[in-house]
Amino acid sequence: MDYFLQNFPQQLVNGLEAGSLYALIALGYTLIYGILEMLNFAHGDVYMVGAFLAAGVAGVFVHNEVAAVPAGLAVALMMVLAMGGAGLLGVGIERVAYRPLRNANRLAPLITAIGVSLFLESAVQVWVSPAPVLVPSNALVPQTVFHLGNVVTPLTGVMLFVVAVALMVALDAFVFRTRFGSAMRATAQDREAATFMGIDVDRVIMVTFFLASALAGMGGVLFGLRYASVDFFMGYLLGIKAFTAAVIGGIGNIRGAMVGGLLLGVLESLVGGFISSQFQDSFVFLALITVLLIRPQGLFGQPLADRA
Amino acid sequence: MAQPRILVLIAMAGVGLAACGGTSTGGAAANKPDKVQIAAEGPFTGDEASIGAGALQAIQLAVKDFNKAGGVNGTQVTLLVWDDQHSAQVAQTLQAQGISDPTVLGIVGPMNSGVVLGSVQGLQSATPPLPFVSESASNVKVTDSGNSVAHRVNARDDAQGPADAKFMIDQGAKKVYVMDAKSDYSTGLADQTQAYLASHNIPYQRDQAKAGQKDFSTTITKIKAFGADWVYFADEGPEAAPFVSQMKQSGLTIGQNIQFLGTDGEEDSSIITTSQGAYDGAYATNITADPAGVSGSAAAAYVTAFKAEYGPDSVSKAGPFYGSAYEAAQALLQAIKNSPVNNGKISRADVISHLASDTFTTIFGSVKFDAKGDVTGGGIYVYKATGSSMVVVKQVSG
Repeated sequence: MDYFLQNFPQQLVNGLEAGSLYALIALGYTLIYGILEMLNFAHGDVYMVGAFLAAGVAGVFVHNEVAAVPAGLAVALMMVLAMGGAGLLGVGIERVAYRPLRNANRLAPLITAIGVSLFLESAVQVWVSPAPVLVPSNALVPQTVFHLGNVVTPLTGVMLFVVAVALMVALDAFVFRTRFGSAMRATAQDREAATFMGIDVDRVIMVTFFLASALAGMGGVLFGLRYASVDFFMGYLLGIKAFTAAVIGGIGNIRGAMVGGLLLGVLESLVGGFISSQFQDSFVFLALITVLLIRPQGLFGQPLADRA
Repeated sequence: MAQPRILVLIAMAGVGLAACGGTSTGGAAANKPDKVQIAAEGPFTGDEASIGAGALQAIQLAVKDFNKAGGVNGTQVTLLVWDDQHSAQVAQTLQAQGISDPTVLGIVGPMNSGVVLGSVQGLQSATPPLPFVSESASNVKVTDSGNSVAHRVNARDDAQGPADAKFMIDQGAKKVYVMDAKSDYSTGLADQTQAYLASHNIPYQRDQAKAGQKDFSTTITKIKAFGADWVYFADEGPEAAPFVSQMKQSGLTIGQNIQFLGTDGEEDSSIITTSQGAYDGAYATNITADPAGVSGSAAAAYVTAFKAEYGPDSVSKAGPFYGSAYEAAQALLQAIKNSPVNNGKISRADVISHLASDTFTTIFGSVKFDAKGDVTGGGIYVYKATGSSMVVVKQVSG
């Protein structure tokens, strides 16, 4: 019990860090599912590409000694390029792989999504690097470490949490407070009716893909700064975990994805910390199965209404 | 069903080859095989390309050097490149083409114990069995399963595990956090190390990392709670850099308040760069020698030749097995060269018997395999991450 109390706060912080990343990626799953009722299984790989874009920018500024640029500006450039690049990639994927199948059998876009996912992984493996690539985070962000009692966390971990939460709040405001947000919600509720109301559904879908993918790109940047290493396979397991988080929260529900992500991160960290690291991943999928059996609409989900 | 047809094909090929042999003009040419192929197998791409890519370069260089020196009685050896991506399934598919082609006489590799254990039965039951010489597979079961095809130039887990544990104890280890990476190689090795620690009453805690894991915060919290003064991580390599960087961020600095001992894949100077210096001061043991770190003119000449072939910084990127890969290729090629040529053909059965009986001249001196296929007198080498390279600090004989 002593052991538990002493280590619980640190494991909680560890879990919140991991969980905010899950939440950021889960939002993408949930946004796209909300609008199109399709699972974009390439989403984890969009995140991976975002991380590689960030690593590329970081590499140019740190290794090639274009050091006239202050570190802060380099980080800002990483964020802009990774979010923009991932966003455009998302839009491109939608245009090429999903739009032609929008009225096809529901399985068809799911299969192209898996195809796109495999393509992105192999493309990065072959054209960029089969081995992990370093993100020189030491040269970009201060290596400050915060101590709070016996809880320790580096600045990059705090950044991961703060930026992720800020983006989630901004997204929530965008969807629920703006005109375009209501267009998104209208499209989610009934695509045909939305068309009759004069909403450009194609444009709404494009913007949704851009937003979802840009969030994933930002996830890639934050991950790179925190863990200093990216590889072509990093999007696979994380994508599945984020999907699990989205389902736990209620797929299609934005606030559900945020809570689902944080919850999954914390639970995973506690299982790893107090039960066994061996069961961490199996636990994630056990949680997925349990939720699907007991409450298939997820914690926050209302079956087939009020999505997005 | 397919069996007779294959036999017919082989028989026809045999007749054809015999005919060729008959028409060629006498003397030395009668001993010249028509075609000799060997395969290089390992994780040349994928999550373990960091150990595979350098090994492949070494094997390619070995074949090139061998061919330059005349090949097998004048026949140039063709190298097939089998990239198994650290997957036993992929490996079996690749090996199938070698098994059915009698001019494929042997494999240098596979590198990962898990892949070898998944392949060995198929290679053994082929007709004729297809021999291999691994440069890095260390799990005891690789050669203990009583087969004739398996050979390796590296030392075994049951030599490395105790040597690793003893090294930590000699350095004053009080509490050891023992980790593996959930693979046949790393689990087997960590078990051996753990058993030695247990028998010497050193408290330990066992944990596992996952392939490709980047977030080690949960593990690091447990290391601190356990109060370990040594972390032992049996791993093929790619997980070490994020692990040690996060240890440093969380206040566990290698060489100051914690010591780190890695294995094989972690005997890799690129980890110092990819961990942004956090790896400096860490130890790693290797079941093979690093040509740049051992004495001997053949090894030094090899390092020079490797740099000439692949560029001045190639050795620092070649991973831990670029020496043993060349050594393994030398042993296999010499066994093939020593085998008799009948009607332009060398049989795999003869290659296997020469692998068992002959002594080979390699960059690390003479090499001989014992009855099980293990190298006799294989050494364990302890390295330390110092500045930007891994420096040999100790050799523990196997």
